[in-house]
This record gives sequence, C-alpha cells and structure tokens, in this order.
Amino acid sequence: MENVKIRSRVNGKDIESEVEPRKLLVHYIREDLGLTGTHVGCDTSNCGACTVLVDGKAVKSCTMLAVQANGREITTIEGLSRQGKLHPIQEAFLEKHGLQCGYCTSGMIMTSFWLLRKNRNPTEEEIRKNLSGNLCRCTGYQSIVDSITYASKLMKADETEKEGIMVEQ
Amino acid sequence: MSSYFTRAKDDLAYNERVFVEGRGHFVDDIIKPGALHMSIVRSPYARAKILSIKGGMSSKDLGARMASVGEGAMEGKNSVIQPVFATGYVNYVGEAVAAVFADDRYKSEDLLDSVEVEYEPVKPVVSIEDALSSPPIHQGLKSNIISEGWRGKEFPDPASPIVLEDVFMNRRIATNPIEPRGIVADYDGKVLSVWISTQSVHSIKEGLCEALGLGPDAVRVMQADTGGAFGSKGGLYPEYVIASFAAMKYRRPVKWIETRMEHLSSTSHGRGAKGIVKIFAERSGKITGLKGEVIVDAGAYGAGMGEFASRFIATMMTGPYMIENAHVKSTSVLTNKVTLGPYRGAGRPEASFFIERMVDKLADELKVDPVDLRILNSSESKFRSPLGMEIDAAKPFLDQAVKELDYRRKAKSTHNIGFSFFVLVPAFAPGETARVKVDGGKVSVWLGGNSHGQAHEVFVRKLVNEELGVPENLITLYRGDTGMLKDGVGSWGSRSAMVGGAAVISACRKMKEEVITKFGKYSVQSLLSGAFDVYVNEEQKGSLNSFGANLATVDIGKLGSVKVRECAAYYDVGRALNMDMVIGQIQGGMAQGIGQTLHEEMAFNEDGQLLTASISDAGVPLAEDIPNFEVKVAQNPSRLPHGAKGLGESPTIGVPTALARAIEKASGKRIRETPIRPEHIL
Repeated sequence: MENVKIRSRVNGKDIESEVEPRKLLVHYIREDLGLTGTHVGCDTSNCGACTVLVDGKAVKSCTMLAVQANGREITTIEGLSRQGKLHPIQEAFLEKHGLQCGYCTSGMIMTSFWLLRKNRNPTEEEIRKNLSGNLCRCTGYQSIVDSITYASKLMKADETEKEGIMVEQ
Repeated sequence: MSSYFTRAKDDLAYNERVFVEGRGHFVDDIIKPGALHMSIVRSPYARAKILSIKGGMSSKDLGARMASVGEGAMEGKNSVIQPVFATGYVNYVGEAVAAVFADDRYKSEDLLDSVEVEYEPVKPVVSIEDALSSPPIHQGLKSNIISEGWRGKEFPDPASPIVLEDVFMNRRIATNPIEPRGIVADYDGKVLSVWISTQSVHSIKEGLCEALGLGPDAVRVMQADTGGAFGSKGGLYPEYVIASFAAMKYRRPVKWIETRMEHLSSTSHGRGAKGIVKIFAERSGKITGLKGEVIVDAGAYGAGMGEFASRFIATMMTGPYMIENAHVKSTSVLTNKVTLGPYRGAGRPEASFFIERMVDKLADELKVDPVDLRILNSSESKFRSPLGMEIDAAKPFLDQAVKELDYRRKAKSTHNIGFSFFVLVPAFAPGETARVKVDGGKVSVWLGGNSHGQAHEVFVRKLVNEELGVPENLITLYRGDTGMLKDGVGSWGSRSAMVGGAAVISACRKMKEEVITKFGKYSVQSLLSGAFDVYVNEEQKGSLNSFGANLATVDIGKLGSVKVRECAAYYDVGRALNMDMVIGQIQGGMAQGIGQTLHEEMAFNEDGQLLTASISDAGVPLAEDIPNFEVKVAQNPSRLPHGAKGLGESPTIGVPTALARAIEKASGKRIRETPIRPEHIL
C-alpha cells in the first residue's frame, strides 16, 4: 500500500509526514518523530505505557493508526514540560517517588494529566479507578497515587499563584 | 531524530529525572542507522518433531547451545541444555525455531509468514505428575528427573502425638516487567557490542562468549535503562545469541524487541513448585520433626534455576523455626513448558508457603493461636537448621513484630486475619565488584550488579559521600558496561545495596589509602585534584539473615472475590541507606505478593498451550486491586561495614502466606495453592 500524507500538531509543532497506512501511532511517534518517551509494553492495549493525549484526551497510542492522527493535536510526555520547567505532575512523580524503573512512567503521567483535567481534586479511590488502564509492576501503585494527589495540590497552588498575579496586574 | 550516540556522556548515568521527562534510554530507544529488525518464528506446539524448515535462519545456520549463566546457573548435562534454535524437536510453545531479519519491525513481522516449518506433533508432558510417569522428553535421558537429592539426615518418626501431612502448590507465574526484553547487537569486525535490558551485563557477556565461542576481548555488553526485571533478565536467552550472531554475519546492527506475547511464552516463568510436607509435633505445639518433598516444574531444559530451585527450596523448608529434625527430598522435572527461572524470591516464597501453611494447620489442629505457635517454635539464640541454614536468634524479632503489627489487638477484633513470619537469606556470596574512578574533580562509579528500578545510584552516592566526603552531586553511578568494569555478578537475590554497597565502601577505602600514600594525608581536595582508579572484587562468604513478618486481613464477597482490607509489614532491613527507597521496594514487592496470591498464573491446557497469553490474563494487579500498605522497618545492622541487609524479596515471601491464612480464616476452607481462586474458597 502506498504511503499516506498526514498533518498533525505534535507537542505544539505542525508536522507533515508520509506514513504507511498500517503504522500504529505509537510507532510513528517513536520511530518517525524520534519521541521515544512514549513506550510499548504489552501490544494488547492493557498496560498503558503508550498513553498520549490526542486532542486533549488520554489515548493508548498502540490502539490508533498514525493516519487517524491526521488533523489532530498530539501531546506526548516530551511536550509536557515548558522551557525546561517540569509540569507539576512530573515534579510530583519525582518528589513522591511515583516511579522505580521508569518504564510505565510516561503513560502514568499522561493518564494523570487527563484525570486531573477532568477532576481537579480526585479521591484515592477515583485515582485508583482511573489508573485501571495503566499497569505498574514496580511501585505497588501507592507512590503513584500519592504523586497524583500531590500533583493536584501543586496544580491548585500554581493556579492560585497565577490568579494572584492577574489580580496584581 | 534522536540517536543514542549523539547524547551526552552523562546520559549513561542512572537518573530518575529523565523518566518523568520521557528521556530514558531503554533498549528500544536505541536507534542505529542501517539496523536490521529481527523477528522469531516460534513453535506453535508444546512438543513436536520438526520435519522441515524452509526459509529464515535456523539450527542449520547456528547450531550453538545456550550457556548457563546468572542466578541459579549450573553445570548441566549436554542433553538438557537448550539449543539456541530448536533442533530436531520443539519442546515448548514459543521455542525459537527460526529468525528473520528486515529493515523495520513491520517488514520482519511480515517475513515470519515466509518461513515454512513442518511439524509432527507429539503428546506433550505438561504437569509434574505427567513428568514423573512419562518417558523422558529428551533422548539420552533415563527419566524426566534432572536433579534429585536430599537435604538433612534421615530420622525415625518422633513419638509425637500429632502428625500432619499436606500437599501445596505455587503455580507458575510470569515476571512481567512492563518493559519486555530486548537487545541491540553491533559488530565492527573486532568487537561485538551489545546494548541490553538486563540485571547483569557480566552474565550476558559470559553467556555470549561461551555460546558463540568468542574471547572476552571480543564482546562488550552495555546496559540500557532497564524497565523492571524481577529475576527474568539476569541470564542468557536464545534471542541474544541469535541477534549477536546475525550482527556478526550480516555486519549490520540487529535489534530485537520482545512482544508481550513472546514474554509470556518464551521468557522464563517463576514459582511452579509443589511441596509435600509432614510435620510431627507435641501437644504443647513444639514441632519435633519435618519430612517432605519439593518437586519443581523445570520446563523443557535444565542447567539453570529449574534444576537448582528444588534443592534451594528444600534447604529452606523449616523456615525461621527451630526444628531439630528435618529430611527433605528435592526433585526437578522436565515438562514441555518454557524453562523455569528466578522470579522475585526465587525459591524463598515457595519454601515459606509450605512451612507457614503447615504451622497454621497445626494451630488449627491444636486450637491455639498461630502466632503463639510461631513464638514457641522460634529460637532465642542462633542455630544451624538441620537442612543447612544459618539462622540468627528469631524470637526477639518475632516478639517485636507481634507488637509492631498490633497483632494481639487486631486478632481480637478481626476473625479474618493472617500473620506470617519468615527469614530471608539473600544472595550474599560470592560478593560483588565495584570500580571507583576520580578524574577531573568528579567521582565515577561502576557496579557489578545493575539497577533495574531499585535506584542503586542513591545508595552509591550516599556511601561514597560517607567514605570519601565528596559532595553527592559530584558522584555518578553509570549503567553496567563490561568495557568499564572487567567482571561482576549481578542484581538479584536482594543483594545490591548489601554486597554492592560493601564493594563500593571497600573501593573507597582503598582509594583513601592511595590518596594518603600520595599526599601524606587525606582530604577531599587532594582526592579531587588527583586521578585515581580503583577496582575491587569484594568477596563475601557465609550468609546473612533478614527477618520479616506480615499481617493481612480480608473480606470475601458472595462470589468468592477477595478484598484485601489491610496488608502490613514489619521487616528487618539492616541499616536503611535511604528510607524512601526501602519503602518503595517493600510496597512494590507487597503488590507482587498479592498478585501471586490472588491473580497471577501462567496456565496451560493438556496440550501444553498457554491459556494466559496477555498481560491481563496473566493477572498483573491493577491499582484497584491493591490496598495502601502499612510498612514498618527494624534497622538491626548487619556485620557489613555499612550495616545493610537484603530486603527486595522480603515482601514476596511474607505477603502470600499472611494473605492465604486470612483467606483461610474468612472462608473456612483450607488453602493449599496460589493463586487462590473463587472455587477454592466457596
């Protein structure tokens, strides 16, 4: 089959590529774009290591074809920090040791991003339920739950700070 | 596009921060121009004669046999050592039959269809019982028994009034790190360079040299960031030999990345052990003797953990208890399944399950509190068990554990409670190697055993700082690299902070002496102004103990679903070098203990077909399946200079037994196996 031209916005940059129609989005991201922070863990869309945001929603990029990303906006783990400054969720995962081997981490963080966008103040039970599509074999999840709870606090503090600045202006 | 070689040198360091930014260096992230991608044609049968193979690379091109290296490695009989490619017969579903190579993974997977293999299926040997009653699966053997022996001395049955016997099973499970296995191999005409996800670059190098007949100077093995391992990435696998051979043959880099399905079918499984235990006891509860047998399902080939595990389990069958007489038979048998390998605990959880289940059974027989029975059978002083374990005074720790876990109060308010007690004997001998180098005002460290998530860099920075006074930000631990450290052992058996730490200290002390020789006295400034390079092989003999206890409470739903209400630990970790890392290791291991007990199994049908062929079916627990853990530690220092003990495997030993007891109490059904399914408790 002939390659297909796709246009998408990846981590804020417009990108045009030619891809094989059968190519999975995760392989396009990793191999064509060189963004290797998105991982492949299971091939059966169970583990969530490949989670990215497509038009703002958490999606397992092994369940989508690259051609389906045409015209869409994709955010990967590499697109989360701004000018070298970590996103509060990334900071929280470091601070609360929400990782050991680091392999599931990108997917965990992208899922957390989506969760905290929907629900700014999730309970532990809500966090655990929302992580049902992301597997971690190292941490026993407790430090991941703690990281997400802490991230929600950091993000609230960030907003308060920003609001404060706006009031001053 | 990112390239492994364009990254800065510091990127070869272990660094937690890179993972939250997606800048890790896992083996699949290594992109080498001109690389071939390898895919493996695998056996669809558990046992079959290979009539013909058309296409691909196969045993006619590479007739090598595997080498036994890493944890549990043994000298093996030629007839049970796995060939790199299946030769004449296939012996498990997923065994490598042929390999194909193409410019990318899609094309190499397409090529799988171009290889034609004709098989003549043969009835497989699937269970331990089948193995004992069937003719050997390999020609040249007398039976399917590949190792057999006894631990302890034969003794006449004691005249004790209580005699109890039972049979237990820990079914096979997959290690399932979230990163599957993988390798990149490249050859420049002189040196084979290998990047790999591993627990030990040194065992991989040793294995490749032996399997391919290469000299030590012809192979360099470098560790990529390793996304979990839990025992399964310590040794050599056929794919590593094939990829290396292909890189040398085609003179192109070769990459192989395992799929999850391949991981489940073709990466060694853990557990897979049956225990038959008979205990003799007085009415007081004092256990006077133990007789038993351990039979391990070693899978289709020997010379590794499968052969070794039965003896290892048998040695630990009296647990931490003072039992004067014990005699245990150990047997490992061949079956038509993927080989058995180490999985976190690697024999220790199995032995503990067998003895702890019997102690609980005895408590029920005598109608006494199972914890009182444990205290009664624990020793005030150190002793050597009749099976050959050196055990420290167990009772003082146990008394403290009962208090720390608040057992007495909880046992009054909760019927569905389980309490376990164990001794972890970590892989202390033969020690570990370390290299410490000072150059340009910075300290670089390499360790023989390589981190796959345990944050070795944290204890290395701390110990070097303590010994040499160098600020931690000037100390870097690099990933495993046989080009930078000539030999070493590996990260398994709860050993790294313990024996790797001791090696780092020894290297630092040697370096301090060199500084004193050169400058007359030691100062951080003189050290950092100079250039020093110290290698040590810090040997360790004998053994160490880490005691531990767990408490669990559960609720059981109408349909037999188990809800873990509470899961607590009290472990002696020696001196905790970093409490956050200690707690992280324990919490992660406790989740794996719950996994083994409630969810995880590698199940096969009578044809030897794997029934649990996705990571979900394999039962890796979800966040929702796991409670918050209560973790407490004792810090009784070991005899090592930094006081560390082993701890990584404690939770997978202690959690299944405590949980099994809680479920037994809640259901009223005797628990004899893991995983515990609803049909066992309804």
